[in-house]
Amino acid sequence: MAEVTSPGCKRGIPGNVEMPLAVERLPNGNTLIADAGDEAGFGSEIVEVDPVGNIVWNYNDGLQFAHSGRRLKNGNTLITDTTNNRLIEVTPDKKIVINSDEWGSGTGKLSDGSHLHYPNEAFELEDRTFLVTDRNNDRCIQLDRKGKVIWAFEKELQHPHNANALPSGNILIADSDGNRILEINRKKEVIWSYGDGSIETLWWPRSGIRLENGNTLVTDSKNHRIIEVSPHGKPVWTFQTEHVDKFYITQATKEGTFLIACTGHHQVIEVDRAGNIVWLFRNFRRPAPIFARLTNGFFKELGNDGNPLHWVLARRLSEGGGKVVWENNHKPSSCPGLEFDRPGTLFLQQDIAVKPGSTYRIGGDIKTIDVKGTACLMVDFFDSYGASLYRDITLMPSGEFFTGTNDWVHDIFEVRVPPRATYAELRVSINNSGKVFVRNIMMNLI
Amino acid sequence: MALDKLVSEKRKRQCAKLIEISKDIVRQAFDKFKLEELGITWTGGKDSGLTLWIIRQVCQEKGIPLPKTMIIGEGDEFEEIEQFVERIKKEWNVPLEVCRNEDVLKAANDMLNAPVKVKDLNERNRTELKRIGFDGDEFPFEAESYVGNHLMKTVVFNQFLERNRIKGIFQGLRWDEHPARFDDPYFEYKEEGHLMPEHTRIRPILHFTEKDLWDTYAAFKIPYCPLYERGYRSLGAKTTSLISVEGVPAWDQDLENTEERAGRRQDKEKAMERMRQLGYM
Repeated sequence: MAEVTSPGCKRGIPGNVEMPLAVERLPNGNTLIADAGDEAGFGSEIVEVDPVGNIVWNYNDGLQFAHSGRRLKNGNTLITDTTNNRLIEVTPDKKIVINSDEWGSGTGKLSDGSHLHYPNEAFELEDRTFLVTDRNNDRCIQLDRKGKVIWAFEKELQHPHNANALPSGNILIADSDGNRILEINRKKEVIWSYGDGSIETLWWPRSGIRLENGNTLVTDSKNHRIIEVSPHGKPVWTFQTEHVDKFYITQATKEGTFLIACTGHHQVIEVDRAGNIVWLFRNFRRPAPIFARLTNGFFKELGNDGNPLHWVLARRLSEGGGKVVWENNHKPSSCPGLEFDRPGTLFLQQDIAVKPGSTYRIGGDIKTIDVKGTACLMVDFFDSYGASLYRDITLMPSGEFFTGTNDWVHDIFEVRVPPRATYAELRVSINNSGKVFVRNIMMNLI
Repeated sequence: MALDKLVSEKRKRQCAKLIEISKDIVRQAFDKFKLEELGITWTGGKDSGLTLWIIRQVCQEKGIPLPKTMIIGEGDEFEEIEQFVERIKKEWNVPLEVCRNEDVLKAANDMLNAPVKVKDLNERNRTELKRIGFDGDEFPFEAESYVGNHLMKTVVFNQFLERNRIKGIFQGLRWDEHPARFDDPYFEYKEEGHLMPEHTRIRPILHFTEKDLWDTYAAFKIPYCPLYERGYRSLGAKTTSLISVEGVPAWDQDLENTEERAGRRQDKEKAMERMRQLGYM
C-alpha cells in the first residue's frame, strides 16, 4: 500500500500559479504573471491578479510552458508560448488576434525562413513591432506583426532569455548561458556589458532592466539575487534570499519597488530597497504527492495513463518531447524507460519525505540506448516551500552518468539529506536524445 | 612501479600533522569506549589501510592490542588483496574476522552472477530484503548490486556489531572521495534501528585528500596492496573495479582533476559539462 505523507492536488487548476516566470505591474495596479505550469507540463497560463490577490483575468488555452505575458497598449496580451514555439496576441475576451503559427502561409516560418524556437520573451515596441527573445536560436529579433524579420541580433548569444528596448533605442539583452548582460545599439555594437563570464559575478542572468537613475538591475538567477550595477560596472545594491530561489524576471514599479518572479518558492514578491517584502502573491499547491518511502520502485503497478503508478513523467523541461516506453520482453516483468528525441531534459520522478541529516542509499539497474546527452539516477532536495536546495542541476547528487549504449548495470550512490530539506525527488533523468530503461529502483535509509 | 617517490621534508611534516589530527580522533575514541567495544572495518584498500596503520600507532603508544577488525568476504575478491591482507594480518597481529553472508553464498552456490532465489534465503535475509523495499523473486549474486551490497555488506556489518557488542566502529572514509561524504562528521552516532544496533561511526582520516594519502604512504613507508601500482585508484569487487589509467600507479595519476571512482563508463565531468550547457535547472 502506498503511504502518502502529503497529498498532491489536481493538476492544471486554472489560477493555481505553479511557476511564475514573468511579471509586470499594470497601470491599474494589478499584476500580470506568466505561469509556466507544473513539472508534468500542466497549468501554464497568464493570470492577472488584483492587489489583494484575486485573479481577475486568466488565459490558459493550449499554453505550454509560457514564459511571458505582456499587456499591450490596446489592452490585448502578448504571450510567448514557449514549448509551442509560438507567439500569440489575445484580446481581453480571449480571442487570438495574432498567432505566429499562421505566419509563412501556415508554416509558422518567419520571413527569413526560420521558425521561432523556444521563445522566452516578447515586447511590443513603440512602432507596434515585436522584440522577441528567441532562446534556442540564440538571438533576439524584431518582427512586424506578420512575421517579417526587420532586425536581428544573433552574434555571440548563448540562450538569451530576455531582451528589452531602452528609450534610446538600444537593447538590453540577458545572455544567460554567457553569464552576462549586454547593451547593444541598432548597429549591433556592444556599447555596455556586465559580467565577466564567471558564475560569481553573474550566474544565468535572466533579465536586465535599466533603472531611471541610469543603473542596471540584473536578475542573477542561480545566485538567487537581484543586483543593481552602476554604468561603471560597480554593484551598488543587492537583494538576495537566504534560500536558493531562481528568480526569473524583475520589473521596477513606479513606486521604486521591484517585482520578482520567484520560481523556487512559487511566488511573486515585491521588495523595497530596504529588503522588505511589501507584497506577495502565492497560491501554489503542489500537485505531486509526497510518499513516506519510495513506492513502486519495481514498477509492478501501472497507472491509468500507462505510466508507472506513483511516478510522475516530468515534461516541463522536455521542450515538447519525450514519453515513457516499456521493454515488454523483459523478464520477469516489463520495465519502463524514457524515450527522448531533442535537447532539454526529461524525468520520471517521485517525491519522498526525508529527514535532514539522515543518509540514504539509492540505486537500481539502468540501461541506455544511443543516449546523446546523459542518463542517470539523480536526487533533488526541496525545502518546505517547494524550492530545490541546489542552484544548478550539476550540483545534485546522482549515480553514474551514462552516454551511448550500455547494457544493464547496477548503480548505487549515497546521499546525505541537507539541512532544511523536507522531501527528496528521486529521478530517472535523460537529456538530449536516446532511451534509458530502469528496473528495481530502491532507496533506503542507512 | 613501487611507491618510492621522494617526499620533501616540508611535505612530510604536513603529512605528519594530518596523521596527528587522525591520531587525536583515535585517542578520543579510546577514551570514549572500552577496547572490546571498538571495532575496525578493513577492506585491504588504501583508505582503510591508512586508518588501520594510524590506529596501530596509537595502540602501540598505549601498549594495547588492536581492536577487533572485520573484513567483508563478498565472494569476488582480488587474489592480490587476499594475499596483502594475509601478510599484514601476520605482521601487525590484526585480530581479523572475515565476515560473510554464508546464507546468500550458499543460495548462489558461490557462483558470481548466479540468480539467488529469495525463497532459498533464511528469514533474516528475507526480512532484510523487505526492509530495503526489494520486491523481486530473485537477484543476481553480485556485491555491487543494490541488493547484493545490502545483504553482503550492510547486513554483515550490522551482524559484526551485534555479535561483538561493538559500540564504536572505525571507518576509512574521506571527505574528498565522494560528494555524499562532504559533510560527514568524525564521530557519528547511529540510533538503534530495525535490524541495526546502536553504534558510533568513527572516521579518523576524513580530512585526507587522495594526494595527502599517497604522500603519507610514501613518506612513512606504509604497506599497500600492489594493485595500486597497476593503475587501480579505487578497489571494490574484482569484476566491477577497473583500472583508471593502465600502467600508471594511482599516485602518479592526475588526482586533482579526475575522479577517484571513475574507471568505468565515462568521465563524469564531461557529462556535467553537457548538462550545464542545457542551461535549465
